[in-house]
Amino acid sequence: MANLTGKAKAERTYDAIVIGSGITGGWAAKELTEKGLKVLVLERGPMVKHIEDYPTAQTAPWEVKYPRAKLPDAELKAHYPVQNRTGYALTEYTQHFFVKDDENPYTEDKPFDWIRGYHVGGRSLLWARQSYRHSDLDFEANARQGVGVDWPIRYADIAPWYDYVERFIGVSGQAEGLPQLPDGVFQPPMEMNCVEKAFKASTEGKFGRRVTIGRAAHLTAPTEEQLALGRGKCQYRNMCMRGCPFGAYFSSNSATLVAAERTGNLKIRPNSIATSLIFDEKTQKATGVKILDEATRQEEAFYAGVIFVCASALNSTWLLMNSTSRRFPNGFGNRSDQLGRNVMDHHLNVGAQGLVPGYLDEYYSGRRPNGIYVPRFRNLGDEKSARKDFIRGYGYQGGAARLGWDRDQPGIGAERKAALSQPGPWAFRIGGFGEVLPNPENRVTLNKARTDKYGLPTLTMDAVIRENELAMRKDMQAQAIEMAEAAGFTNVTGFDTGSPLGLGIHEMGTARMGRDPKTSVLNAHNQVWECRNVYVTDGAAMTSSSCVNPSLTYMALTARACAHAVEAKKRGEI
Amino acid sequence: MQTRRDTLLTFGALWTALAIPAAAAAQATPALGWSPKALSADQARRLEVVAELIMPASDTPGAREAGVPAFIDRNLAEWSGAAQRDAVKAGLDRIDADARAAHGQPFLALAPAQQAALLARYDGEARAQRGHFFGVLKDLTTVGYFTSEAGATKAARYDPVPGDYKGCVPLKEIGRVWAL
Repeated sequence: MANLTGKAKAERTYDAIVIGSGITGGWAAKELTEKGLKVLVLERGPMVKHIEDYPTAQTAPWEVKYPRAKLPDAELKAHYPVQNRTGYALTEYTQHFFVKDDENPYTEDKPFDWIRGYHVGGRSLLWARQSYRHSDLDFEANARQGVGVDWPIRYADIAPWYDYVERFIGVSGQAEGLPQLPDGVFQPPMEMNCVEKAFKASTEGKFGRRVTIGRAAHLTAPTEEQLALGRGKCQYRNMCMRGCPFGAYFSSNSATLVAAERTGNLKIRPNSIATSLIFDEKTQKATGVKILDEATRQEEAFYAGVIFVCASALNSTWLLMNSTSRRFPNGFGNRSDQLGRNVMDHHLNVGAQGLVPGYLDEYYSGRRPNGIYVPRFRNLGDEKSARKDFIRGYGYQGGAARLGWDRDQPGIGAERKAALSQPGPWAFRIGGFGEVLPNPENRVTLNKARTDKYGLPTLTMDAVIRENELAMRKDMQAQAIEMAEAAGFTNVTGFDTGSPLGLGIHEMGTARMGRDPKTSVLNAHNQVWECRNVYVTDGAAMTSSSCVNPSLTYMALTARACAHAVEAKKRGEI
Repeated sequence: MQTRRDTLLTFGALWTALAIPAAAAAQATPALGWSPKALSADQARRLEVVAELIMPASDTPGAREAGVPAFIDRNLAEWSGAAQRDAVKAGLDRIDADARAAHGQPFLALAPAQQAALLARYDGEARAQRGHFFGVLKDLTTVGYFTSEAGATKAARYDPVPGDYKGCVPLKEIGRVWAL
């Protein structure tokens, strides 16, 4: 495109550009607009307006076409071979919030499940809402063990930002006083059911391991601020992934983008695929973002003094890799050669399940969009919890429920129908979420030979879990079996169905923060070392993965980076 | 308990006993009330009886009232692959062939107990053989029933917006399995 000057360029110029509107892009939009900046949010997918664009939010089971709302195999095979790998997320109710794999290709040198939603709000509409803080056990681990590089921050640096984020998004949970899982600003916890309470008593009594209710970003006692945004209390429908018409769980659409919109400083441009950052060799600053307009297929440019890259870990990495210049021939800010390396996720699909004798007169009401949580109990720094076979640790998520009408019941006829019209026996299941170590050989690279329908290069994934994770998985399964059996459950079986990276949908680490520009892409404030007016605040920034769900940390890092950017701008540093 | 289904079938069996010519019997067969997309009209009539035997009307509606046969037919047309569709269609024909071989009567003319006995045999086979037509039919009937409005709201308990969560509630206060 021609270089723009004067008025034409002024109309395309903002104080800040945020790339992506998911869980971190929404936060960047809110923070920067509230601090008075004129902000352009670029979103590659279509608009999703809160409530009005949740077409299945109120759909009854008899209003869907297919059995169990499961899409036909032929359609899954043609359009969703990757998105369907979760086995639970993609249904007739949620289909419109997932990408079509045939239109969004990538290459799996090693199996990698890249689960994506391209639309305003991104995966903040689809996330599992579990919200846990990292602790200093996490922030210090790399340095202590000589793994990867040291985090440039410690818990004290981020703790106030965790407070700030939790207060806004609303996290229900129980304070436990555990050093490895710091307490936060909690709304009232959700309740455990009878069997979960029994499991908690057994596990705490016999193993000395804490069991708590999941800390989940659902409003249980909305604040004035949340009510003013149009959000309400959780209605226990557990239909979250369709979009919540009550605004009860946190998403960009229900909260941060609403707050940003109200400042009058926000412009969202959907259908705008950011393709590269514009770098000015003279000032050594980024001056804007090139996009491909999805509808017109025209390249356009927008300009700003501050750029927040929040496109999700791998897409932010793709954007930086695709932003080459004389200064950055190998990708933007990539003199360290760490861009695309150290892919992490959480490894999962390992644990135990069983049946629970008794409790047949007990049931529950409401569909709790949350489960129980067993915080990490391995390698806490004391002798008792230390393991010789692996470093780091894992937590479990799961719960108990009575089997429903969709259980195996032999025979046919009135007797079977009557049986299925009553709840079945109680069943119990917990699955581990384990920490994945950063390894430079686990990487994604830009594949220029394989382009997508826009002619843009794609990603190639070459990453696997390794010895430490594999050793940890043995313990994850064994301990799950032991705790379930100790609680008196029967037919207890362990499972380990393998864990390709990506399936945790917590991909991270590919533009890590660090203390040294030679070995990291970002500094302690999420600024690209070599171009300080570009901030990367999504999962790409993570230096290690911890074993807890990461979104809360991404949000806290984003809010913290926004405050830094506004101050740095005032001081004329960026 | 005498159910509506038994009454209808007893009536049908009576006709057969009176040796009404096949063409007349077919004419006397009640209209389906829905147009099959995957099945022939004969297969669809057998499916109506099979689905109702799997999930019969009792103190709550049965599969037929819940619209399950049409649900199954539509999904055989639009959701199942060709292999599953063909297996079910062949199975619905086999039912008739087996009925004639064992009792000298088409399946629809058998007494309900004879029909149920035949289905029980298939149920046994299906437990040992993945993809057996009867396993498919039983599953689709059960899912179709409990996700129908009648099944979800009458046989199960349906609450689209619970509003609250209580972890320990006596079952007798809920009464039935939750639909969701």
